[in-house]
Amino acid sequence: MSDDTSTTPPLLVADGLTKRYGRTTAVDGLSFTVRPGAVTGFFGPNGAGKTTALKLLVGLARPTAGTAFLDGAQVRTTVSDPTRVGVHIEPCGAHPGRTARAHLRALATMAGLPHERVAEVLDTVGLTEAAGRRVGGYSMGMRQRLGLAAALLGDPQLLVLDEPANGLDPRGIRWLRTFLRARAAAGRTVLLSSHVLSEAAQTVDDVVVVDRGRLVHQGPLAELERRGTTLEDVFFELTGGVAA
Amino acid sequence: MTALVRAELSKTLTTRTLWGFLAGGVAFATLNAVIVGAASGTLDSVTEKQEALSGLPVLLLVWGLVGAAGEYRHRTAAPAALVARHGRGTLLAARMTAYAVAGLALGVLVSAAAVAVALPLLADQPGPALTTGQVTGVVAANLVAGVLSAVLGVAVGALVRNQVVGVVTMLVVNFAVLPLVSGASETLGNLTPFGASSVLSGMTHDTTLTTAAAGLVLAGWTAAVAAAALAGERRRDLA
Repeated sequence: MSDDTSTTPPLLVADGLTKRYGRTTAVDGLSFTVRPGAVTGFFGPNGAGKTTALKLLVGLARPTAGTAFLDGAQVRTTVSDPTRVGVHIEPCGAHPGRTARAHLRALATMAGLPHERVAEVLDTVGLTEAAGRRVGGYSMGMRQRLGLAAALLGDPQLLVLDEPANGLDPRGIRWLRTFLRARAAAGRTVLLSSHVLSEAAQTVDDVVVVDRGRLVHQGPLAELERRGTTLEDVFFELTGGVAA
Repeated sequence: MTALVRAELSKTLTTRTLWGFLAGGVAFATLNAVIVGAASGTLDSVTEKQEALSGLPVLLLVWGLVGAAGEYRHRTAAPAALVARHGRGTLLAARMTAYAVAGLALGVLVSAAAVAVALPLLADQPGPALTTGQVTGVVAANLVAGVLSAVLGVAVGALVRNQVVGVVTMLVVNFAVLPLVSGASETLGNLTPFGASSVLSGMTHDTTLTTAAAGLVLAGWTAAVAAAALAGERRRDLA
């Protein structure tokens, strides 16, 4: 795994991001960075504000306060560019009555991408044979793969994934790990959230842990390993959980 | 923008919703032509005969609403916004344009069914026969009503973001509130979107509003609700 913590400017910056829904504060002054060419894991207990934070980072939601920067530019003021950021987080979905191929073709047309990309990403995620079926008949794992395919259409510099391993079988999880590591090795950047800490520990370079909307830890995974601790230990220690 | 409209058009064509509404529209137009043209007694005026050619613009309104609100129900609004290379307002405007285009095609097919069924039935009725210009006029007015209704439906769907709430509200307003308003004041009823649409499509005639004025009223409502939807789309989260 990459262990480069040099002075390369971060690709993605969360600067004091706050999101309130009425009296509820989902994200509370969250600041962290994502360095290019690495896989950054974004962890936290249920309700910690991970998905909301990811929405703020990619511009799907407007922050109550704070700013997200992508490559130095404010996310809120820039229009989407699928060659820069590919996203699969809730609420990304597909119409159940539409085939996967039609879904991806519409997105490719919107993005101004050639339709050949549709066949390529379907092949990448292993959905070529099922591409002509309506999405309503897909399993959860197949929907995850379709969401990933949509995120990959523009072959983006940054991939933002929310619980990408959810619903995948062991073969799919291994494939995903290999795929994400290959992207990082090729200089691409990945930010992913996950609940499966043991699996994520095999995939990520850097770790961001949030609890109740606040940052509680950021650093390279290698640093934890040098301290003789594990991602799971750190997670439970910082989020107030109870280790087994 | 053109790419966005093409993509939104392809989305309307790749689910069964459009075809369901087309079948419903043709069925209604046929039924209306039979009821008005053959089963409702003697038709001896042009406006009475033109009523047999009416479509049901409210069906296109519901179609637009279901499609636009479905973007949030099925969570397809977010992936579209994330690849569109334009702001969300532009994306919604493209969706409205696509529904206008598809709505026009839908309206043409429904009107064709209405004309094909109604004209032979109307030929047996007394009074003046409909001229080509009169048939063209009522078909054109129905197409305008259908296109405006489809765009209005998309705008309402984008504002409400909930198919069931949107459709139920529309039906209650159309079939419960509007008759009460029109009963109290015909002029006021005609100035509502549903009232104007009914006048424009020829379902309501010999009333306080001309067809052209009804078109302007419906266009005004459509523009106002579309503007509100576009403003809201730029500001609201996709969540």
